[in-house]
Amino acid sequence: MKTAVMIAMIVLADSAGDVLITKGMKEVGEISTIKPKELLAIARRVLSNRNFLSGIFFMAVTFFSFLTVLSWADLSLVFPSTALVYVVSALGARFILKETVTFQRWLGIGLVCLGVVLTSLP
Amino acid sequence: MKTYAILTLAILAQATGNVFLSKGMKQIASASPVGNSDLLALFPRAIESPTLWCGTALLIISFLLFATVLSWADLSFVLPTISVEVILTVALADHFLNEPVSPVRWMGTLLISIGVILVARSGKQTGEAGCEKEKIPKGPGR
Repeated sequence: MKTAVMIAMIVLADSAGDVLITKGMKEVGEISTIKPKELLAIARRVLSNRNFLSGIFFMAVTFFSFLTVLSWADLSLVFPSTALVYVVSALGARFILKETVTFQRWLGIGLVCLGVVLTSLP
Repeated sequence: MKTYAILTLAILAQATGNVFLSKGMKQIASASPVGNSDLLALFPRAIESPTLWCGTALLIISFLLFATVLSWADLSFVLPTISVEVILTVALADHFLNEPVSPVRWMGTLLISIGVILVARSGKQTGEAGCEKEKIPKGPGR
């Protein structure tokens, strides 16, 4: 039960972090240089992007929840279960953003759910 | 080519990082007189654990590599690599963490991986437009 709550927290914080970081990185634009000077300028732009920073906050929550749950639970249970983030984002897309979710995607979501159930069996 | 090389490194870093974190946290919990019942008491120990620092460094590397690739590659292309990560992590846990993985759990892991690939590829069918949901990746850094 404790494990399930922690996994739920990881999944929710992870989804939030992913959305915000993707948004932030797209705003910053493609990184196509390895020149230290330009990289430094890009790093500065990334670090001043508000979406990116909020994303980092959620990633930190994810990370510490992950660490905590690993102090008692199996890695081979916890890590695959974090794939539930796809289920959360698809449900969010369907019911909050009112997007169409394709059949193939529902199928994938079903498989992820079934897989997590199998993974968590004793 | 550049994309594949970076993604391979990112996957390796993530999977080995997970193993280090799991090992580190369990070491700390078992060394602590209160076990894992008092989480706050575990954190001072966590900061002193080299195993946890290695794991964290690997996850940060993985995160930076993924973020770099996402700056030019499509998410529907990058996303399926996560399924490799899941399988690799379970294999490493089985091998290095003394977590014998049952056939049922392996089956679950494979279903999750197939499911992730289906979810990721379904974005391509709907085209580029209208894919706000495509912006929800499975990030690294867990």
